[in-house]
Amino acid sequence: MPSPDTDLAVAVDIGGTFTDVALLDRRSGRIWRAKTPSIPSDPSEAFLNGIRLALADAGHEAPMLERVLHGTTIATNMILEDKGARTALVTTRGFRHVLAIGRQDIPRKANLYTWIKPRRPVSPSHIVEIDERIYAGGEIGLALDEASVHAAADAIAEMDIEAVAICLMHAFANPAHEQRTAAILHERLPGVAVTISTDVLSEVREYERSLTVALNASVMPGVTTYIGKLEQRLANEAVAAPLLLMQSNGGVAGAATIRRAPALTALSGPAAGVVGARAVAEAAGIRDLITVDIGGTSADICLIKDGKIGLTQTGHVGEWPLPLPMVDMVTIGAGGGSIAAVKDATLSVGPRSAGARPGPAAYGHGGTLATVTDAHVVLGHLPARLLGGRMALDRDAARAVIEKNVAVPLGIDVEAAARGILAIIDNTMVGALRVVSVERGHDPRQFTLVPFGGAGPLHGCALAELLGIRRVMIPTAPGVLCAEGLLAADLKSEFSRTLPKAGPIDVAAAEAVFAELDARAEDWFAEEAVPEADRQTRHVALLHYRGQGGELAVLWTGTVAETERNFVDAHRALYGFNLAAPIELVTLRVEATGVGKGLPRSDLAVAPVAEPTEMVPLHLADGLKDIPLFDRATLGAGAVVVGPAIIAQLDTTTLILPGWTGAMHASGALLLTREDAA
Amino acid sequence: MDTIEPTLKAVAPAARPVCDAVTLEIIRGAISAAQREMEALIERTAISAFIREKKDFYTALFDADGVMAVGSMVPIFGDVTTPVLSRFPVETMQPGDVYWYNDCYGSQGAVSHSNDQVLLAPAFEGGRLCAFVMSWAHFADIGGLHPGSISPDTTEIFQEGIIVPPTRLVTAGVVNEAALAIFHRNSRFPEQSIGDMSALMASVELGAARITEIFSRFGHDIVADALAQLLARTRRLVRQKLAETFSYGTHRFTDAIDGDGHGHGPLKIRFALTREKGDDGEDRFIFDATETDDQTPGPVNLLMNPGVPGMALGLYYLGGDPAQVCNAGGPKALDEVRLREGSLVQPRFPAPLGMRGLTMMRVLSALNGLVNVAGGGAPASHSAYVIALLRGRYTDAEGASQRFLLADGIGVGYGARAFADGLDAVYFVAQENFPLEFLELGYPVRLRTYGVKTDSGGPGRYRGGCGIVREYEILADEAMLASRIDGITNPPWGFGGGMSGGVGRVVVNPGTPQERELAPLSDGNIVRAGDVVRVETGGGGGHGHPFDRPPEAVLEDVLGGFVSLDAAARHYGVAIVDRRIDATATLALRTKRTPVRTFHRQEYADALS
Repeated sequence: MPSPDTDLAVAVDIGGTFTDVALLDRRSGRIWRAKTPSIPSDPSEAFLNGIRLALADAGHEAPMLERVLHGTTIATNMILEDKGARTALVTTRGFRHVLAIGRQDIPRKANLYTWIKPRRPVSPSHIVEIDERIYAGGEIGLALDEASVHAAADAIAEMDIEAVAICLMHAFANPAHEQRTAAILHERLPGVAVTISTDVLSEVREYERSLTVALNASVMPGVTTYIGKLEQRLANEAVAAPLLLMQSNGGVAGAATIRRAPALTALSGPAAGVVGARAVAEAAGIRDLITVDIGGTSADICLIKDGKIGLTQTGHVGEWPLPLPMVDMVTIGAGGGSIAAVKDATLSVGPRSAGARPGPAAYGHGGTLATVTDAHVVLGHLPARLLGGRMALDRDAARAVIEKNVAVPLGIDVEAAARGILAIIDNTMVGALRVVSVERGHDPRQFTLVPFGGAGPLHGCALAELLGIRRVMIPTAPGVLCAEGLLAADLKSEFSRTLPKAGPIDVAAAEAVFAELDARAEDWFAEEAVPEADRQTRHVALLHYRGQGGELAVLWTGTVAETERNFVDAHRALYGFNLAAPIELVTLRVEATGVGKGLPRSDLAVAPVAEPTEMVPLHLADGLKDIPLFDRATLGAGAVVVGPAIIAQLDTTTLILPGWTGAMHASGALLLTREDAA
Repeated sequence: MDTIEPTLKAVAPAARPVCDAVTLEIIRGAISAAQREMEALIERTAISAFIREKKDFYTALFDADGVMAVGSMVPIFGDVTTPVLSRFPVETMQPGDVYWYNDCYGSQGAVSHSNDQVLLAPAFEGGRLCAFVMSWAHFADIGGLHPGSISPDTTEIFQEGIIVPPTRLVTAGVVNEAALAIFHRNSRFPEQSIGDMSALMASVELGAARITEIFSRFGHDIVADALAQLLARTRRLVRQKLAETFSYGTHRFTDAIDGDGHGHGPLKIRFALTREKGDDGEDRFIFDATETDDQTPGPVNLLMNPGVPGMALGLYYLGGDPAQVCNAGGPKALDEVRLREGSLVQPRFPAPLGMRGLTMMRVLSALNGLVNVAGGGAPASHSAYVIALLRGRYTDAEGASQRFLLADGIGVGYGARAFADGLDAVYFVAQENFPLEFLELGYPVRLRTYGVKTDSGGPGRYRGGCGIVREYEILADEAMLASRIDGITNPPWGFGGGMSGGVGRVVVNPGTPQERELAPLSDGNIVRAGDVVRVETGGGGGHGHPFDRPPEAVLEDVLGGFVSLDAAARHYGVAIVDRRIDATATLALRTKRTPVRTFHRQEYADALS
């Protein structure tokens, strides 16, 4: 039973190698962290191991937990690795090839002579047509022929199928046929997961909606089984607390919501990191930031303005467009494991990665290709041992691979080759940083860069210089920020409706739609047991100039003039011009939030004097120099470190370049600023 | 801003103003980012469905001399800047200028039909002109004979809409509003014209600003050298690959379009590529299209810019290698391009050009053929993408009569490769379809079916891509339909034992007593509310002997609706019973292996003519 003396929440983030757990007691403000090896064959086992470790450390019992939070990559991995369930798709007669055709294009950046259409998540041989037709606007043109649905059930029963997706033309304007079809298939196909497009994405464009519901169906059995296992393990420990999962939109939701639409968790892990970065920045009083989460294979980049995380519906997961609300971030194939290679006298870095195994040559697992991490090792950016001394780095191996694969082919020395590798990978990341900032009308120089992930703090200063950014914030625990994000997250859901036909704003009609969406939001609040006082809703209108393809989301103010002015201002800010064309309302959205409690403040003890643990050699542009290496754990609030310097800690290493000065903030964050920019 | 990172200085010492390999990659990345940004702006803000859903727009960057350094991945661009530079000397250009044209004959075919508007903006840094950026987009209607401006009916370019010679649209930030007003007044849909032009102007202004930033970050000499290296790299690679493909001597290939829609055809496209040793001992590559048939009265003439053959061959040779850039290094790889004025690919003013797309697609096919006869590894032939233009009036919900124009691009099958099947149901690079749900919300039509056309992919070890079936029910009171389909009498050829692709057609009211088949390249076909229009498009040629295709792949094709049971047995020698392969019957069928020859177009042949 929960105790009146504690308010315990536990957050579990499962990564490829380690499972990180953070246990928070909001009464005392204390956090206990635990790390346990991930168990890929049954991630739920590591999930429980981690929780037990943290509880033992804190001296608390499992039944005392009041919230269990979890970020999962299970859906992501199934999509990326094409390991979803065997799935069938049911669609309107005449349109079985919508998925195969896609948008009928060869992608803009592809070569028409060599490009191959990616394999769809549902094979064309597993797509079944039924007789029905809904017209534009939702009018029923041909009533659902239930006999054809039964025939579809017979055909699917022959196919050895685990999940069925249903996507009917214009269902977003009238979901009745999808709902009835699902009911019949549920009855006819026991044990098979059935999902309809309008439960996942009730929006126009049949290919994108078909793809979304197909992906949703294909991850549904796996996610459902997984959630079931987690719940069983928690029940065995007598945990009564609800299980909440991180969604791609940066909010958490209960298991029931996720079971219905597991595709909502496609970006669960990266979203948790962004929410964590926002929370730790907020604690340091920073509300305008750009986060860059650099792992082994990829980097996720996101802009937060005025403490608000932007959402997008034009995101991708792997090769697939997935138009579900997700944190507006850019993911690129650039990380510590990115491979550097020379071909035709051209040096390229990434997107290929050495992955976790063999990984960089410096890790000593037999890597023979030059990676970004090896370049850092060659230049002395990393201490001799990582993970608190548990892992030694093989400097000779790092030198050897860079010499062989980069320096010799280019005819330059090893250090120049290593610097070249880093310059290219930094530039690749700067391209993505510009996408989220400059391209969207934000000047990056007015933002604080927050690098995290295992490799982020090595690149922070270099990236900031390239963008003219003057302040970099290194969180307390950059390698395990996802768990922090889970603890800080709100419950979130969106309810939207695309109008049958875009047109001028009709306030009365819009308010009627909002009333209906509000009612759905209230039902959701009740299902998630959000207390009245914590319920918040925001009304948003998506508008465009008549004819435009993209909409801009602006706050709904209840009047035509103000809403239109918001749109005109946003259009000018983003694109630099306005049109005399009529403004049309396309979609209405209610964003529902169950406000969480954030992270408690944990003030760092004051200890203004910083003592280096040793001096280490660093290759700078102007030669080799001995620089101080500090242990982050010894730095108290007010401590100042002048670059060049290295700060080592369990989960990451921070490189402070010449010209930069680090200062420990009371919140525990390390703030780096450029001298000439004060 | 002063942001040269310290790590870079050692690699590229300021004393040596030559761009090293690392900086080169960085500059290339920065240019791609600028290009992406320009494209995103156009896509999000353009008004016409043609641009925002179909995405018929491209961008490119040129060096200070106007040579394309980074282009789009499409093989249709020639020399875009010379038409402007020859009229407006660079000394007269100022920051904030934007130049504009759509004049095909005035640009030597840099634009090849008048609907395509080209905007060029010079980028300045430190008072010096350093580069040009381009945005290019198809405008839905610029006046002319019929709505949509292009039509199979035209016999002169004057019927294909307003012609804009190279013009200074913006002078140091001041817009020539009169020129725009005249242009927009000529459009049947001025709202779309105004919106699309605003989007294009904003995108070149953005591009110029970004390029200026790149020059100020790295310095003129470094960036200029980087652009020169990108060009040289592409040119070197393309010449090396040309030498691998083409032995010394002359290699020839002939392809054909069915006709011009005005009773003339077939029209032959005859290409030759000669490799010889020059006086300096270096190889010379000469491309010759002079044997191509004469120009024709109908609008299928292609005013082919001399840069096009090299650009297309370049794109082929670059393959999918992300380290390579599609640029003028392709055209520059050829030492000479010979065209004959008065031919189908070099018509005289004012021959009509509106439907040149089908000839362009056949030119790409002929280039594949040229590579293949020389022993290279190009794809088999593809169908030319199809356009159905529907224009008319409908009565809206308020009872008012509204004009509409639907220019529906429909995908086709592409040729099979030596390593993969041809692409099913694809229009072209970067051009997307109108989704059913979008179409039915905005136009007085309703789709009855939209799917791949069974058996339209040419059989082969690798199957040619399948075309599409798109069937419309007309809801408009009355509308006029234009159809552009080619490759019916001369279907896309198969290669290496692969067979030719299937052919397209347009039928009104199929399967009823009122059924009528339309001329594949025609306009003026009247349809009325309740009529059904069925458009079928052609496929791509196959590659390799069909009997070598794994039976499991044939089964998957049959279950997925790409190949019929009958064709599986007849062409592939695979017997399928109850959704399973009958191994014994398949073995029996495959012992009777058809003898094949190099090419196949309706029948096997050693060469096509």
